[in-house]
Amino acid sequence: MIIIMLVLIVILALYSLIGRDLLHVVIAMSAISLICALLFVLLDAPDVAITEAAVGAGVSTVIYVWALRHTRRRDDDNT
Amino acid sequence: MTTRRWLNGAGTWLAIIALAVILAPIFLSATPWPTVARDYLQQQGTADSGAINLVSAIYLGYRVFDTFGETIVLLVAILGTMGLLSQLEHLVEPAQNDQKALETTSRFALAQEKRRSHTLRTHLLEVVTGKVGPIVLLFGFYVMLYGHISPGGGFQGGVIVASGIVFLSLGNPQEGSFGISRPQVLIRLEILAFFTLIVIFSSGLITGSGFFGNPLADTPFPVAHIVLLNAVIGLKVGMSIGFMCIAMMGERT
Repeated sequence: MIIIMLVLIVILALYSLIGRDLLHVVIAMSAISLICALLFVLLDAPDVAITEAAVGAGVSTVIYVWALRHTRRRDDDNT
Repeated sequence: MTTRRWLNGAGTWLAIIALAVILAPIFLSATPWPTVARDYLQQQGTADSGAINLVSAIYLGYRVFDTFGETIVLLVAILGTMGLLSQLEHLVEPAQNDQKALETTSRFALAQEKRRSHTLRTHLLEVVTGKVGPIVLLFGFYVMLYGHISPGGGFQGGVIVASGIVFLSLGNPQEGSFGISRPQVLIRLEILAFFTLIVIFSSGLITGSGFFGNPLADTPFPVAHIVLLNAVIGLKVGMSIGFMCIAMMGERT
């Protein structure tokens, strides 16, 4: 179970590095935070899990999407 | 262009491989974890601080200094964000009726008449967030105030309170019908909470336990210090993050 989660985290992290559509990347990062929170619950750290779920999957996603709304959605090649 | 893209991709993979090479020895080593601090906390932590949740006993009892630093980091981050947002407002001309000005201002939705979020709002969003908001607020205050017994604490509860505030401000049909989603109220509460935090930290000086010390350490209820700190930190975090999110969504600041 934990191994599946870790592999998923690595795959999502690689996608968020390489992906070109920034909205998809933001959602992938939010999913990373969610899987991390589940992982923390499995490892008996509920305090950290609450923080990770609230900050990582909630507030930071809101801030990223807000920033995305005021800029362009596609990643640029020549920057 | 293509070589540049290829170089970017190669750089990414190089960074990943370098990270793997650095981290591999840490994962592969079989060094036993240090156990002295863990054993001490298991035997003495609850008796020292009165908190059943040892995590809150650590970050509000033994390591308050770090928590104070975290609070200040959050304060500076919010200040920087609000500085940037207020600069954004200077870039925008006041809204007029012609299409060009509307188009320009809706890109930087900050002030009352420039709100773009109203047009994107649906009845579903308003009804759901308006109904869920108070429940989220209540849960946030529960996590905040029971941080010494159950998992949670000031920071976690504060962030949940902040999302409750954002829900309430998304869900109300009229502007500012909930006092807590009004920026002036939020910023005053945050200032009050930070002032109270410093007063609590300094109150150890009077009773002789020193700055950051627990002034109630000799009384039968040493846990009151942790409960108070949790409540104040939660208020401060919730108000500042809620204030920032509301300012970003385009409320009047």
